[in-house]
Amino acid sequence: MINEKIKISTKNLNVFYGSKQALFDISINLVQNKVTALIGPSGCGKSTFIRCLNRMNDVIDICKVEGSIKIDGDEINKKDLDVNLIREKVGMVFQKPNPFPKSIYDNIAYGPRIHGLAENREDLDNIVEHSLKKAALWDEVKDRLTQPGTGLSGGQQQRLCIARTISINPDVILMDEPCSALDPIATAKIEELIDELKEIYTIVIVTHSMSQAARVSQDTGFFHLGKILEFNSTEKIFKNPDNKLTQDYITGRFG
Amino acid sequence: MNLTIITLIIVFSLSCFFFGKTRVSNKIKISGKKFNSLPVYYGYYLAAWCGLPALIILFFWSFSDLYFIKFLILSDFKADPTIDKNKLNLIFTEIVSIAEKKFSGQIPKNLVPYAERFLNLNKIFELSKLAVISSTIVFSIFFSYKQILKNIKARESVEKVIRFIMFFCAAIAVLTTLGIVLSLLFESIKFFTVVPIFDFITGTNWAPGRAFIRDASTEIADVENVFGAVPLFWGTFFIAAIAMCVAVPVGLFSGIYMAEYARSKVRKIVKPLIEVLAGIPTVVYGFFAALTVGPFFRALGETIGLDVSSESALAAGIVMGVMIIPYVSSLTDDVINAVPLALREASYSMGATKSETIKKVVLPAALPGIVGAILLAVSRAVGETMIVVMAAGLGARLTINPLEASTTITTQIVTILVGDQSFNNPKTQAAFALGITLFFFTLIINIIALQTVKKFKEQYD
Repeated sequence: MINEKIKISTKNLNVFYGSKQALFDISINLVQNKVTALIGPSGCGKSTFIRCLNRMNDVIDICKVEGSIKIDGDEINKKDLDVNLIREKVGMVFQKPNPFPKSIYDNIAYGPRIHGLAENREDLDNIVEHSLKKAALWDEVKDRLTQPGTGLSGGQQQRLCIARTISINPDVILMDEPCSALDPIATAKIEELIDELKEIYTIVIVTHSMSQAARVSQDTGFFHLGKILEFNSTEKIFKNPDNKLTQDYITGRFG
Repeated sequence: MNLTIITLIIVFSLSCFFFGKTRVSNKIKISGKKFNSLPVYYGYYLAAWCGLPALIILFFWSFSDLYFIKFLILSDFKADPTIDKNKLNLIFTEIVSIAEKKFSGQIPKNLVPYAERFLNLNKIFELSKLAVISSTIVFSIFFSYKQILKNIKARESVEKVIRFIMFFCAAIAVLTTLGIVLSLLFESIKFFTVVPIFDFITGTNWAPGRAFIRDASTEIADVENVFGAVPLFWGTFFIAAIAMCVAVPVGLFSGIYMAEYARSKVRKIVKPLIEVLAGIPTVVYGFFAALTVGPFFRALGETIGLDVSSESALAAGIVMGVMIIPYVSSLTDDVINAVPLALREASYSMGATKSETIKKVVLPAALPGIVGAILLAVSRAVGETMIVVMAAGLGARLTINPLEASTTITTQIVTILVGDQSFNNPKTQAAFALGITLFFFTLIINIIALQTVKKFKEQYD
């Protein structure tokens, strides 16, 4: 507990879609090199919350974010900030695998090329190999790097997306229900991967699967109707939650 | 007469509809017996039986009765071997105009009895038409009513009738196209028997007017070396290329702006405004090009010491390009919108800016669609007439100077066919040969364009 470092902290975060408020006064701290799971019924604001952390909500015209979000102590929810730098630091994996309609190699090389991370072809090759290895995909695709990424299976595509995220060396990886479109075997692989990745990165994962949250995370936050009802260590949430609603949701009595 | 019959058929069909419907619903009420379909379908069934056979007979009868009458009347003249086919047609036209009292000049006495006969035959045919159609209606109502009482599956039959009507309408569209192609083909075959096809597509001298003059004075057409269409192909290509130089960049970028950058409020205003360009009649573009753009370039050229003719390929091409902008921009907008949001989000989440995302993800994904859009625009530019007629001039010459007058296939077709023309000299038939060449150009471009657009659609469905 002593050398825990707070990576991301939000304070009084309110989000509006037009006149409808989606998040109410979210104030939580996410710890470095830990996996934080966010659970809660559909439409409770989990995805909206993690999309605030890399300013992805900027893409939506009518979305307005108020309050404070600090990464490493620096405020990121301010107007004059270069959002691209934030997104370079905070990567994201989406619910549905979304590889670019390019080759596997080009999918991974996309980020490094944009940010100029590779001096020459050799560097780029190394980054691609390294990222694919970390995402546990290298052995499966090393012989067909020039084939389109969209030709892989669903689970492979999702690991490709994780590799793509890793390729630019972010600090934080946000995952928005990364396994909801995958079968149990692919899910198990990705969970294993998440466990390894937390050694290097801070991970926030939104999930609808209680067991997944219990398996992969150290901290868990329970969202309900745009509010965070309980935020605690995963062990406590699943064994002895403070809130009655949390208990009901985890045990499957509602949601 | 036909109008009366059609009204009659409609009135009968309508009453059949209500009759059938109420009959069946009454029967259900009285006997409690369950019918196969809802009462309304029996109404449709009866109405279809009443109307369709009568309409079909009317259609074919109206097309064929004149031929029968002609055949009957002209049978007397056919015995005379001195009267050929053209003469026969002429005689028949005269008989008809005498009968309709529209004949101008001295009425030839020997034709008067035929005119009377024509009127009589006409009357007989009209009356028998009425009789046949009425009896058809009566018979088919009788037949279909009996069918209804047998409790047939009216709902399925109505389905078949609807399918037939849809097929009929589709067939009309296809047959019309076929008709146009065939008429072009036959006329151009006539042309190519006089002028070798090789001379036509490789010759570099286009002066059909000369052929006409020689034709009139010597009765022998001098067709050598005056029907070389290469200058026209070149002019068409050249002006279309200038137009695409304007339309592609402007249309593409405005399409990208609307799809990616414009806020929805701006888009709602700007998109219809751009599409207004597509609604302006081409003749208006034509005089805009001829009266504003052409002289402007001329004046501009004079100030920098260039000799610009007031009718130039440049003026026509640029205005044509402006006309095509909405096609390119609107289609680009559509294909870009079809690229899934997930791909953009993936790129943004890697820290890519908007323009990087567009350049590296959105445009490559939308490329086949954009190529298709551009090709459709090309075929539009190649077929455009009015602007070129008014702004590019008529001189058919091979030049790469955009400041000189130039001409296109379409322009030449117009100049050849404007005014009174005899349709059996090569000058006029040249228009059809040009027409079919143009048709092939645009057909090929369209096929390629539609194929690429289709490929693009399959990618994300």
